[in-house]
Amino acid sequence: MSLKDRPPVDKQSGTLPRSQMQPDHQESTRPERVGSLTAQQGSLMHTEVMSLNVGPQHPSTHGVLRLVVDMDGEYVIKVTPHMGYLHTGFEKTFEHRTYQQGVTYAPRTDYLHSFGHELAYVLGVEKLMQAEVPERATTVRVILHELGRIHSHLVFLGTALMDLGAITLFFYCFREKEAVQDLFEEVCGYRMNQGYFRVGGLSRDIPDGWADNVQKFVDSFDKHVDEYASMFATNPIFLDRAVGVGVIPADVAIDLGLTGPNLRASGVPLDHRKANPYCGYDSYDFDVPVSQAGDSQARFVLRLDELRESAKIVRQALKRLKPGPVKDPNRKISLPPRHELETSMEAVIHHFKLVTEGFHPPLGEVYVPVETARGEVGYYIISDGGSMPYRVKIRAPSFVNLQALEYACVGGQFADLITVLATIDPVLGDVDR
Amino acid sequence: MDALGGKDQVVFTVGGGATETPAMARPDPVAQLVQTLGLKAEDAAEPTALVTAGDLEAVAGKLKTAGFMLMDVVGVDYGAYVQPRPQRFSVLYNVYHPYDHRRLFLRVWLRDGESLPSLFPVWKSANYLEREVYDLMGVVFDNHPDLRKILTPDDLEGHPLRKDFPIEETPTLFRDGRFIDPPTFRAGMTGQSAGLTGWRGSLRKGGTREMEPPVMPEGGPK
Repeated sequence: MSLKDRPPVDKQSGTLPRSQMQPDHQESTRPERVGSLTAQQGSLMHTEVMSLNVGPQHPSTHGVLRLVVDMDGEYVIKVTPHMGYLHTGFEKTFEHRTYQQGVTYAPRTDYLHSFGHELAYVLGVEKLMQAEVPERATTVRVILHELGRIHSHLVFLGTALMDLGAITLFFYCFREKEAVQDLFEEVCGYRMNQGYFRVGGLSRDIPDGWADNVQKFVDSFDKHVDEYASMFATNPIFLDRAVGVGVIPADVAIDLGLTGPNLRASGVPLDHRKANPYCGYDSYDFDVPVSQAGDSQARFVLRLDELRESAKIVRQALKRLKPGPVKDPNRKISLPPRHELETSMEAVIHHFKLVTEGFHPPLGEVYVPVETARGEVGYYIISDGGSMPYRVKIRAPSFVNLQALEYACVGGQFADLITVLATIDPVLGDVDR
Repeated sequence: MDALGGKDQVVFTVGGGATETPAMARPDPVAQLVQTLGLKAEDAAEPTALVTAGDLEAVAGKLKTAGFMLMDVVGVDYGAYVQPRPQRFSVLYNVYHPYDHRRLFLRVWLRDGESLPSLFPVWKSANYLEREVYDLMGVVFDNHPDLRKILTPDDLEGHPLRKDFPIEETPTLFRDGRFIDPPTFRAGMTGQSAGLTGWRGSLRKGGTREMEPPVMPEGGPK
């Protein structure tokens, strides 16, 4: 049953029109006696709007999100999200850490595509400092940024389909997700919350043989994506639950401020890698998948296509990987190499100043948008000339995307709410920050 | 290169080479936009235009008609800034055109206690974004349909992102009625002193003696 076939919800009273109730509610089909009730007692039975609490600890909320759902029978008439369970005050914390220390906090917001937040923060501070990032560092950033997108979309595919009852794909997706996390661990020591980028480059160079491992992974990856597609894309049960469910038209998506795959699934081809290229994305050859349907199935399939495009970008970036420095040579930004500390007094002074105090960007306010797996991430950074930001505002895509839930679920059944919530793909760390 | 939609719509290249957007073809379209709207541009790294609270709804309406979307609302407390600013608070509206990729920041200055008109009637995305600014910065938006706290707990008083919000440890009220201050709690955890927690880390290693239950000190919590 598609959304169009469903009875419209009266927005004023918030209930379904009585005349359009399901057939089993009609008097004619009701039996004379209901159990031990007489017909008169049975007529006293009535329907009323029920409030159903979902979460905060519920597997399908993908984190700690609480929804209060007002329901008329099986139909959702109002959804009220309550968030803030993961609010840890990152924006306030940024104001009391140096710019370089802020790299630690940025990836902890969106823990599934950490490199996206890291990159957005680092690019913002680099714009403030006018730092020059070496080419090798930029290429490694692109590789990790796209591997992060693959990581995030794999978690999305596995968990979202598990919400729909398809458990098998979860294990296949997490097999590759583990492989990506192994690559992260090799390069920076952490499987999540990496904190690998630095203002002006990377914290250290990639280890020997890492590029070969990435090459091996992306070479076999397209085959795996086909495997995922064969497991759910034409499954009639999946199509029944996803096609036409939670439709968000393009104008509504723009009005609600959606970005990322959710917006592109509604037919708006906005991708900051193409629109406002950063890290040299304009020199890579890749497509931006766009779908016109705007329903849950489009959001599923679009992310599947993005996996292939990300692997394509990684393959191109690996070809460009040339030996070279990975840090801005400016000693006022990057730490001096270890061997210089033994011979150069200036290096010791720079090291001391950078570690104890940090660098001082000039006064100004910057914003650099970055396309992550969830949409536009940007850090509005205000500098007052000190070594710590005066104010950092995170443009969190999950937070804004979550507003579509209230729009897309109304009029649908409760089971569709789970589908819509899964395909909007919020990360609660990103919502609450 | 294929244009999707009308002449003012997206120009979106697929494939290699530099993306040519109308923003690059025309000389600074954002400055033209600011001029068309009759606003005063601010000298800043990002294209910023100054708006008064009275004009805000009208300007936002024009931008919405032109196809812009509201990306973000940023509340800033300039109370501790190094340079003098016109007012203590500033609210920035980050608007973006999803097809021709123009970005503009609208800045409104306001005093403490002043309120702004809500942009929810213009952009639905203002709903959560304004609630967040209200919660963390304490700026009130008039005619917002549902102006409640959104991120901080209901029992937290104050607005944490204001510069005068104190950063300090607060004693925690436990369910059994005890107030325990964080230094005492930490001391108990590391075994330096039982403190009020009644739990000593050192005694845990093979210690069999039961600790006395903690008692409230005379005169209430310290």
